[in-house]
Amino acid sequence: MSVLREMLENLFSRPFTILYPKEKVPIPVGFRGKIAIVDEKCIGCSRCARVCPAECITMIPDETEIEVKGKKIVRKKRPVVKFFRCIRCGLCEQYCPSEAIIMKCQLSESGTDKEVLVQ
Amino acid sequence: MLMDPLLLAVYILIFPGFLFLLAYAFFLQYLDRKIAARMQQRVGPPLLQPFADFIKMLGKEVIDPAGVDRMAFDAAPVVALAAAMTAFLYIPVVGESPFAFQGDLVLVLYLLTLPTIALFLLGWLSRNVFSSVGGVRAVTMLFIYEVPFFLALLMPALMAGSWSISEIAAWQGKHTWFALFQPIGFVVGLIGLQAKLERQPFDIPEAETEIVAGPWTELTGRRLALMHLTMHVALVAGSGLIAALFLGGPLLPWTISPPWLSWIAGFAMFLGKTLAILLILASIKVAMGRIRIDQLNDIGWKYLASATILQVAIVLLMGSRGVGI
Amino acid sequence: MPQVILPIGPQHPALKEPVNFKVIVDGETIVGLELDVSYTHRGIEKAAEQRDFIRVVPLLERVCGICSHAHGTAFVMGIEEVMQLEIPPRAQYIRTIVAELERMHSHILWLGVAAHVVGFNTLFMWTWRDRETTQDLLEEMTGNRMNYGINEVGGVRRDLTPGQITSALSRLPKLEEQIAKYVDMVMNQETMLLRFRGIGKLSKAEALKYGTVGPTARASGVDYDIRRDDPYIAYSEIPWKVVTDTSGDVFGRTLVRIGELQESLGIIRYCLEHLPEGQIGVPAPKVAPVAEILSRYEAPRGELVHFIRTNNTDRVERIDIRTPTLANWTSVTVSLVNQNIADIPVIVAAIDPCLSCTSRITILSERGRKTAEMTWDQLSEYGRKSSRERDRC
Ligand code: SF4
Ligand code: SF4
Repeated sequence: MSVLREMLENLFSRPFTILYPKEKVPIPVGFRGKIAIVDEKCIGCSRCARVCPAECITMIPDETEIEVKGKKIVRKKRPVVKFFRCIRCGLCEQYCPSEAIIMKCQLSESGTDKEVLVQ
Repeated sequence: MLMDPLLLAVYILIFPGFLFLLAYAFFLQYLDRKIAARMQQRVGPPLLQPFADFIKMLGKEVIDPAGVDRMAFDAAPVVALAAAMTAFLYIPVVGESPFAFQGDLVLVLYLLTLPTIALFLLGWLSRNVFSSVGGVRAVTMLFIYEVPFFLALLMPALMAGSWSISEIAAWQGKHTWFALFQPIGFVVGLIGLQAKLERQPFDIPEAETEIVAGPWTELTGRRLALMHLTMHVALVAGSGLIAALFLGGPLLPWTISPPWLSWIAGFAMFLGKTLAILLILASIKVAMGRIRIDQLNDIGWKYLASATILQVAIVLLMGSRGVGI
Repeated sequence: MPQVILPIGPQHPALKEPVNFKVIVDGETIVGLELDVSYTHRGIEKAAEQRDFIRVVPLLERVCGICSHAHGTAFVMGIEEVMQLEIPPRAQYIRTIVAELERMHSHILWLGVAAHVVGFNTLFMWTWRDRETTQDLLEEMTGNRMNYGINEVGGVRRDLTPGQITSALSRLPKLEEQIAKYVDMVMNQETMLLRFRGIGKLSKAEALKYGTVGPTARASGVDYDIRRDDPYIAYSEIPWKVVTDTSGDVFGRTLVRIGELQESLGIIRYCLEHLPEGQIGVPAPKVAPVAEILSRYEAPRGELVHFIRTNNTDRVERIDIRTPTLANWTSVTVSLVNQNIADIPVIVAAIDPCLSCTSRITILSERGRKTAEMTWDQLSEYGRKSSRERDRC
């Protein structure tokens, strides 16, 4: 009987499905989504590359002057991420000292090319 | 009832014959899926989805399983479809069917059995373990539900004293619906129809989690499309049959003039009644899981068969008391 | 009738994951079963040996998609014990909340799959709809719907905010109501009763003999649950009870799982209401001393065991994962005997198998064309030989 009752209730209520591209799925704050690098904040410490379990972060030479807490320093390297190899574990974000590598509150796309880079 | 040849051709080909039949079959299929979806709180398909599926499948590559008899494999779905469509011609839609004759009930029942036989054949021809198991299950099931189903559907004939569907429908116009006279038969008929269409809880031959898709496994492209269409058409024919036999069909108890108005009213009755039957069938589908073939065997013979025999006894008793006949 | 061998798998629509069995049937009745679970060997244990303690946790979470928190927690608990870390209670409570949410989502998922296996797709849709609640909660608390990444050695990586706690608490009653409906449906839905009752019987003696764990064992009357018998994280502080059943069939397993759903909900509510204040982690040293440890965890499917050996470095020397499915598989071979072929999917699904997590060993022929078998003696001889070789160099 409970089956029948639930069936009838459902018949006259709105479907539960979210029709995705038309309606957006709500994404909670703190969602570990798409990975992004804030280039002007990175001090080139390589920590992210060391903790990444998927080993998808490589440090490439890039000599730039950046400003950290009012001081100007010259960084030697910056990270690039192989986008589709990232498993979105968030460890890089957690270990980065200057919030230069972050997981955005945004759904990560999928793809087939493992070599796509995020710079 | 004789008509002039042109009208007859229109009847067969356009309305309420094949063209209407196909359109209605797709529509019923859509409704069936939509109702099921909404009951499961899903969105369900858009209106043209069943039709789009059909067209898409027609365009798909046809794959012959190794060592299969291609001729027979191609022919079986066509025969099944032809049988189901022919059966519909004898179902009264807007009034009495122009093809009605004494005994068309038996012909329709026979024609509606053909799709199942075709499925069995397809399963057998596929040379695939799942298909042949499914095919065997399909016929086993046929033997179980067919007896009570036939008995239940023949009871109205007995009571109305005619073996023509249209006349049985007309008889109900003068008396009352057989659903009220013979509630057990009506229920058994609905259950039998559900089994005939292989819908839950009787989707044993195509049990997805056990035998892939049973006889359907090796069907591809137009064969699959035709077989699906057969099932859609059988749904229309079956529900039209039940509507005519138990719910009075499209015939009105009183006469309306002009005739075209009574035709429209009859057509509306037909639509309303088949939709109601579809709603019941869809609810059964949604509310149940699949039973095992041996359990169906138990249920079929123990309950369905004995219920029908009880119904037969009641009808005979009523007949001897002079009710009906 | 002669006995026929019916091959099922590795690819089969009834199985969501590849496993290979040969069913020996006599007509419609099953006489015996041969299993090959090593189709999806992924070398995950070896991969775990290559990563330090920070990087290995996300990997171990991916042993299983559904019990990902189970694997992560079992591992970090083991390492924390080796390092002799005192984990703050708040972290333990958060771990418990995630663990029980995971159990709920796993059991609801199972209920849906079980219904789908017997063709009752409606319940499948409904359960998966309601499972969204647990998924949303997990997503809000941990940042992801699967592979939560909440654990690290020393504590948890995210704290719960008061807002999250109230919003979670406000959504529990609805879930509770739905679970109560499932109880009603499972007890009264005729076709499910027909397909579940008396199917796949496993007596208590058999359940013990074949070493079953989790709901499979508890449905046969084995009163055994790691959460109570060897409490870890916060379970010793929370009031709850172990659900058991005595029928030992598929129906019993369903009842146990639904009962556990209700218990889990209680645990989550208790934890959210009594969440202690304080730190959510302690700093962990980089290396772990030489030790061997067996970490046990009650995953949704049963007892999960991680054997960990550390050797004074920042990574494990050896990790061995015994998933609950492996423990339950042998019981399937027994409970399938004398059943109808049509019941294979039901009985297999009843232990809630998680196959890809289970494969630990594959023996390949010379050129990798064929798999082979090894007896127990051969295997232990092989193990001794390779460890001698390793010690030599
Ligand atoms: S989130 Fe991606 S890039 Fe960052 S550590 Fe994890 S896998 Fe590496
Ligand atoms: S992104 Fe962060 S962790 Fe990585 S190199 Fe830059 S500052 Fe260091």
